[in-house]
Amino acid sequence: MSISGVTLAAFPSKLFGVFVFSKGSPLSVIQLSDVTKNYGKHTAVEKLSLSVPAGSLYGFIGPNGSGKTTTIRMILRIIHPDSGTIEVLGNLAASSANDRLGYLPEERGLYKKLSVRRMLGYYAALKGMASNDARIAVEGWLQKFELTQWSSKKIESLSKGMSQKVQFIASIIAHPKILILDEPFSGLDPVNTEAIREAILHLQDSGTTIIFSTHDMSTAERMCDSVFMIHQGVKVLDGTLDEIKSQFGTGSIQLRWDGAREQLASIREVHTVIDCEGYQELQFDGDPQRVLHQLITKGSVQRFEIAQPSLHDIFIRIAGPKAMDSSDSQSQRIGA
Amino acid sequence: MNKVFIVARTEYLISVTSKAFLIGIVMMPIFMGGAILVQYLTHDQIDIAPRRIALVDQTGRLFDKLQTRAEIHNQTEIFDGEGEQRKQTGAPFILENYIPEDHGDERADVVLTRRVSDGDLFAFAIIDDGIFEATSAGSIRYHSQTPSYQTLANWLRNAVNEEIKSVRIAELQLSNETVAALSRHAPLRQFGLVETDIQGGVQDAKEENRILTFAIPFAGLMLMFMMIMSVAPAMLNNVLEEKIQKISEFLISSVTPFQLMAGKLLGAVCVGLTLSTLYLGAAFGLAVYFDVSDSVPVSLYAWFVFYLLVSLVTFGSIFSAIGAACSEIRDAQSLMTPVMLLVIIPMMCIGPILDSPSSTFSRAISLFPPATPMLMFVRIAIPPGPAVWEIVLGSVLTVLFAIGCVWAAGKVFRIGILSQGQSPSIAKLATWVLAK
Repeated sequence: MSISGVTLAAFPSKLFGVFVFSKGSPLSVIQLSDVTKNYGKHTAVEKLSLSVPAGSLYGFIGPNGSGKTTTIRMILRIIHPDSGTIEVLGNLAASSANDRLGYLPEERGLYKKLSVRRMLGYYAALKGMASNDARIAVEGWLQKFELTQWSSKKIESLSKGMSQKVQFIASIIAHPKILILDEPFSGLDPVNTEAIREAILHLQDSGTTIIFSTHDMSTAERMCDSVFMIHQGVKVLDGTLDEIKSQFGTGSIQLRWDGAREQLASIREVHTVIDCEGYQELQFDGDPQRVLHQLITKGSVQRFEIAQPSLHDIFIRIAGPKAMDSSDSQSQRIGA
Repeated sequence: MNKVFIVARTEYLISVTSKAFLIGIVMMPIFMGGAILVQYLTHDQIDIAPRRIALVDQTGRLFDKLQTRAEIHNQTEIFDGEGEQRKQTGAPFILENYIPEDHGDERADVVLTRRVSDGDLFAFAIIDDGIFEATSAGSIRYHSQTPSYQTLANWLRNAVNEEIKSVRIAELQLSNETVAALSRHAPLRQFGLVETDIQGGVQDAKEENRILTFAIPFAGLMLMFMMIMSVAPAMLNNVLEEKIQKISEFLISSVTPFQLMAGKLLGAVCVGLTLSTLYLGAAFGLAVYFDVSDSVPVSLYAWFVFYLLVSLVTFGSIFSAIGAACSEIRDAQSLMTPVMLLVIIPMMCIGPILDSPSSTFSRAISLFPPATPMLMFVRIAIPPGPAVWEIVLGSVLTVLFAIGCVWAAGKVFRIGILSQGQSPSIAKLATWVLAK
């Protein structure tokens, strides 16, 4: 299936992942071509091709098992594909490319016995930063996140929120060209969430390409430019968020009218009617103008609104409700 | 390579600035010194209560003489010091002449066993009738319910045999002077080898210090064993802890798994070398103080450092691979067991090697790569040392083994550090090693 600007591959109804693309940068900072990765007899990623434009804020959404962690680890060269090629920042050598990558894993850990400053200095050194540059960067980020007074304290003395901010700083300390964030807001209170969200957007403004993996559809929808979906390691969808929404956007109408519910069944395009408080939601196929025309002939229409589906709705439509349950339960577990 | 050193430096600094390290440095000599002090303080804390023994002297000729010897023992041999310093340090022996005929028809050993059980006697002994005859199979049957106390049994055996010898000599009608002259033992003094310099000058051999001859290899072995036990299992804990705390995934986005493992290994080896340098320095200082520094050639220090380095790399890499492969300390412990056996093998072989360092067994076991660092060092430390080809062959084999361990550990580490769930079997680890 193909939609303008959106490639829609065949997608079975189980597990999905979603990537979101930038609107228009011609440069690609990450390029996967026909990448396959097997774990024994299980194929985690199959012939995956992917291109991440420079400067994009690129969402990666999906429940467990879709291959997103494997894909991230291959991009980071923690594991290597069985076949296919991966280019990160062009043809840069693996070690040099990794120095320009920042990574915030979903499950986080810090050296509890190290001081905040020493630990951040260690991560900066591993990314190849000179000690003077590292010191300046550490002080700057600690100040930005109001952690300066904690800089000599051991990590074990920090609260959970502060530890997560320190971990976030560690992932960006070396001014990465590409930042990969796996559930960056997991377990954060609203204040810290906003602080990190602002930092992410600031990094994007300064040219950092951001890959954003999350189970929280609303956050992805609010922050990301474009979407990429995989199902059981196979690419099923990619494109900008607007393009994807417009593709799935004509399938739902919010209706208030004085006609009988039974009359809706006689409209050929309508296949589902959901009773909501104060209105009815019609799910249909085909031209909404034809639906409207038929409604007018059957009664008086007070409200007729073509609803654009949320990313959450699209996800359920593609993956099915079971996939969403899996995704939600995973989110709750991580957040707990 | 630079990242390996960054990891190593951090690991090293974290270790040597930790309280555990500083406490460990101080505690080890305190424990060892404490053990010596406790032995010194308790050496005279022994039971000096009289030991009462009944003798059934079937010869009818020995009891009085043994009684006399017991009195001498009680007056002289159980005391240390002179004058006011004189102090009893042993138990006196009280002898009872048990004549069965005077006690009815009941068997003597039954009666005396009852008395020992009741606490009336400490032991009893039956001296066979034919014990004086050289061709006789006669013996002294010593009965007690505390066989661990050997002082009384040894005294009795010596005393009876001395009396038997006296009787036999008397039968030959030899004078005491003649007997003394005939029995005089020639002393044996042990020396090293005579040394000849280039100009043909000869240096007399030095008399060997038997204590140092055995103390140096044994102390070196113990120190190497302690260093391995301090460093290698700590590596396992370190890697496993970072894996459990999810630090590893963050780190390997910046360094390769092999760089991470190599850095940790290098840091741990440096910690081990730091510790051993401190102890060797202290040992050298003591050797100089007691004027025995010549007994330990400088080359021996070099061999110690070399073999310690190899063994730390070998066992450090194996333990770090186990830490990476497991997700729980309980699983790691089960995989540790076979590796611990490899560490302990040299400790179990030390007796035969000290006794006969050039035997076929000693040569073979010291060429077994996991055991080579400890056992080849022991053999080098015992003069004249193994043949040069043995040292070279053993060193090459153990270095190759260490390199192989690092290579295999790197393969296991690469896969294991990201694995979750149940720990792999040894067969599974083998497939990880062979995986591309």
